[in-house]
Amino acid sequence: MDLTRRELFLAGAAEFASANVVSAASASDEAAELIKRLTGKTPAESNRLHLLMPRTFPNGYTVPLSLDIDSLMTENDHVKHVHVLAPRNPLIEVATFHFVPQRSQPRVSTRIRLAEPQYVVAFAELNDGTLLMTKTWVEVATNGCE
Amino acid sequence: MPAPIPRVQVPSSVTKGEIFQVKAVISHQMETGLRHDSEGNVIPRKIIHKFVCYYNGVDVFVADLHEAIAANPYFEFYLRGTESGRLEFVWQEDGGGVYSLAHQLVVA
Repeated sequence: MDLTRRELFLAGAAEFASANVVSAASASDEAAELIKRLTGKTPAESNRLHLLMPRTFPNGYTVPLSLDIDSLMTENDHVKHVHVLAPRNPLIEVATFHFVPQRSQPRVSTRIRLAEPQYVVAFAELNDGTLLMTKTWVEVATNGCE
Repeated sequence: MPAPIPRVQVPSSVTKGEIFQVKAVISHQMETGLRHDSEGNVIPRKIIHKFVCYYNGVDVFVADLHEAIAANPYFEFYLRGTESGRLEFVWQEDGGGVYSLAHQLVVA
């Protein structure tokens, strides 16, 4: 069978796409590695962090993000900060939110830019220094960083 | 660029200990510094890089913002009504611009 240039291109594109599909496990390792590089500490993946984003979104300019962390928010047990990272954006830091025990809840919604489909990563720092992390896959159709 | 206009939505009164929602938004381009003009020059970064909510002078919610926050940055967050007083919202822009709003909250 003779492959047309177009078919060759499509075959190449398919291969490229499959090579780019990151497994959830390796994405976790990658995220943990990134957080370790930024903070010097190893985070634990935790289901206390709820990072809610649409799985697919038509444009990368204004993707909704909601974060909610299970915490008592007492003096002895609270979330100090939560960081949001978009590892496949040209600049990976998105935002850091700071909370105060008894005064604010570790819960926030905003809208962010994503350059390409990727795992968005959130990690929280607790008052005892523990780092908790989570991630969620978001597929955007257009680059929101141009 | 038109002057940024901040807006907030906060209840006027809450009961003591109640968790209440705050919505804060400011009209702002959030120029990332990653774009070029028609002559190929980089359009300099100009974003709101910090948002702070003070409750009677205590910074109860702070957001450090980077280029990946969407234009017209919007935040929804949750505070506990501890005492009546003043909520102040401050947006800090690259280059030193500061925009703010204040709100009186009654805690009954």
